[in-house]
Amino acid sequence: MRQRRVVTALAIPLVLAFVAASCGSDDSSSDTDTGGDTTEATTETETDDDTETDTTEAASAPEEVVTSVAEETESAVFGGSITIGLESEATGLRPWEDSCSSPCYHVMRSIYDPLMEQIGEGGYGPFLAESLESNEDFTVWTMTLRPDVTFHNGTPLTAQTIADMFPLQQAGAAGSSVIASANLVGVAAIDELTVEYTLDAPTVAFPATLASGPVGFPFDPAAAAADSAGYSTNPIGTGPFVMSSRDIDNETIVERNPDYWNVDANGDQLPYLDSISFRPIPDEGTRLDALLSGTTNAMMSLRQGTIRDARGASGIELIEFQGNNTGGGMYNTSIPPFDDVRVRSGLSRMNDQERVIEALGGTGISLPTTQWFSADNVWWTQEAADAYQSFDFEAGKALLQEYIDDPARSDGKAPGEKIDVELSCPPDPTLIAAMQVIEQVWTGSEQVNVTLTQFDQATHINNAVSDTHRAHCWRWGSEGDPSASINPFVAPSADSVANFPNFDDPEMLAWALEASATDDFERRKELYSNIMVRINEQAITWYSGGTAVMIAHEPGIRGFNSWTLPDGTLGVGIAPEAQARWFQVFISE
Amino acid sequence: MAKTVAFVLLRLIATLFAVTFLTFLMVALLPGDPVDTILGTGPRAPGIEEQIREDLNLDDPFFVRYFAWLGDAVTGDLGTSYITDQPVADTIQSRLPVTAQLAFMSIFIAVVIAIPVGVLGAYKQGKWADTVTSSAAQVALSIPNFIFGIFLIWLFAVQLNWLPASNWNRFSEGVLDNLKTSILPAMSLALAQMALFSRLVRSDMIATLRENYILSARAKGLSDRYILFRHALRPSSLSLMTIVGIAFGGLLGGTVIVESLFAVPGLGFSLIAAINGRDILVIQGITVFIAAMFVIINTVVDLLYAVLDPRIRRK
Repeated sequence: MRQRRVVTALAIPLVLAFVAASCGSDDSSSDTDTGGDTTEATTETETDDDTETDTTEAASAPEEVVTSVAEETESAVFGGSITIGLESEATGLRPWEDSCSSPCYHVMRSIYDPLMEQIGEGGYGPFLAESLESNEDFTVWTMTLRPDVTFHNGTPLTAQTIADMFPLQQAGAAGSSVIASANLVGVAAIDELTVEYTLDAPTVAFPATLASGPVGFPFDPAAAAADSAGYSTNPIGTGPFVMSSRDIDNETIVERNPDYWNVDANGDQLPYLDSISFRPIPDEGTRLDALLSGTTNAMMSLRQGTIRDARGASGIELIEFQGNNTGGGMYNTSIPPFDDVRVRSGLSRMNDQERVIEALGGTGISLPTTQWFSADNVWWTQEAADAYQSFDFEAGKALLQEYIDDPARSDGKAPGEKIDVELSCPPDPTLIAAMQVIEQVWTGSEQVNVTLTQFDQATHINNAVSDTHRAHCWRWGSEGDPSASINPFVAPSADSVANFPNFDDPEMLAWALEASATDDFERRKELYSNIMVRINEQAITWYSGGTAVMIAHEPGIRGFNSWTLPDGTLGVGIAPEAQARWFQVFISE
Repeated sequence: MAKTVAFVLLRLIATLFAVTFLTFLMVALLPGDPVDTILGTGPRAPGIEEQIREDLNLDDPFFVRYFAWLGDAVTGDLGTSYITDQPVADTIQSRLPVTAQLAFMSIFIAVVIAIPVGVLGAYKQGKWADTVTSSAAQVALSIPNFIFGIFLIWLFAVQLNWLPASNWNRFSEGVLDNLKTSILPAMSLALAQMALFSRLVRSDMIATLRENYILSARAKGLSDRYILFRHALRPSSLSLMTIVGIAFGGLLGGTVIVESLFAVPGLGFSLIAAINGRDILVIQGITVFIAAMFVIINTVVDLLYAVLDPRIRRK
């Protein structure tokens, strides 16, 4: 039995903007399944009044496809259950220990609440926290927790809870990584609800850390320490749903938390749904068929081919998002001939973006990119776009010829000999097609011998981490603060595995460090723009397009794109990577 | 007979030993560092790489690791997944019934259809019924099971809305509910088996029908049906029984693609996830288990074969 409740009335399409006409309604796209996934939850402490949200409108999405966050217009209804098809199983549900990708976060976000949460206009707002403030140099952050919050087992959430979580997070595979990147060295309970975080370096982006699962999702430290493995299958959070049953690789069911602290705009206790069933369905076609046949009520996808198919299906509704996750490739600059900028630039000039995007199946779905940020994002700059070495076959040939004729060419070959290039991507059909487009153009120059290689995803990433890669499919970007993804990328390659191209540039590193130590948004934007310009000038990477993602669902399911933070601020919808926040999802009548 | 059994068991032990060694070797030869897979591309806390190496004994020599693992494995301890923290034996235990059920069902469906089709083909050799069934078997053999699976999903789930497209209802949720989720993947797996079995039955039956005792039965005036199913079928089923055993063992490891397609939580589904995550102990555990089951089932079939056929027993 369902109870009706009025949630909100106004439809205020926040956002959106952009996707300028210049990006066009003709072709664009994204790279659905490139190599590694460097997307991370990050921080964004400032907002830019000129821009609005991270959510973007796909180039030619049909009118019935939702691409932006907006306040809910329909009356919320209590009750009902949803079954959603996810692209993979959550291998573990311990935020401090288990690495979690988008499908896993669907489940985790139903069980756990974040301390901070991303907001639609950019930046982060308090969720389980009531406030978060820093000292002047951003090395000490003081957080006040919301009162009267309890875990599913009845244990109250206090400042001491957060302090007790810290040793487990430090030892956890997931937590230790985030703690290292956040420069976090200490957590102390000041009083019942006040927590003090101490950092060993200025980190203006620290609020993003508290929105991330590994450090920002409170768990019961006593229960976790008592039975860590058991916590994975029977997690205890403060979130809107409690674990009901977990049949790994088949179905995970969560049920409404009757003691949930959060309320909607009318003061009614959340969540709206009675239960959610999460089903891992790895095959993209089957996942869509499951939705179309009514086996499931909703599905997620990170693949533009599936988005294309879903757009063509009837009887379902789509919410699409295209953020900062951009596909393309990179060069290992420590290995000849990629140690020479003429080769990198020459090959990048021969990256026919439109044809690559077409091969990826993204025409009309996602947009070409020139930097790590999509054109609608607050961090995107024209300077970086202008510095991108876009497709110019003849210019590319001239650069390669200069290298080929150089008696001191770095690959040790005799002048006049062709350049040997190995291009590697995971064995995804669309990626193979895109790789073949690039190969055709490079080979067509009659200056390059191209060898195509394919490795499974894990090996592909390993090759980049272990620096054995050459020209390598990859993707970059994050919906949050650029520091999380850019700073490790420009850190010295000897210290940072994330400096995949092994391009060491002290000036870029200095810009990144300065950007982490100031909250002057315009200055930070300028610094990160400098880095993007340098990356483009040095042709360290090349791009195809932004990665489009979606949640498709039966008509009548609402709330994916209209959820709000406790203070009423509109959230980021399904960003990043089609992640749902379940506490305000409902089934309308 | 005792000699036969002893020989078969000895061969079983040697084969299992070879299987474990080769599996361990192949996993060790997988490209890439499992530590990198576990830790991903983010920043790394000091000492965490070394800790994982120590936990997984990755710095020990190959043979030290192999014999340590083998020593545990023979006691049933296949280790604990570093990714999920769950014992590998528990993972196998929870997945095996699903895969075994799929294998049983697909073999059952295949045999039930293949025998009459094969008998019909033999009985009507060279006539249109034989041509039709032989051609159909040829077509069925050439269709990959996942393609047939996609067709079944499209037809029974999307178009007719009779059956769910994916996932698995366990027996505890009711037999009917279980059948609803298991029938499509089982049918996908059964198609090629059915074609193979029917061809086998047909060719064996044709040979049997030429035997003198069949002519004698016909001379006595026994009905064709009686001759076919009472006198000809049993001797024509020995090859089928062998192939069914091999097929069942093969299906335990051969359901990987179909399990992934239908999101069935069996051994294959877990194996794929483990390979993608470089979950070494799970890969080793499941692979060795599947291989061992295959070898054991074939050994049992060999022994049964000897029991049923006195000529083999005498050899």
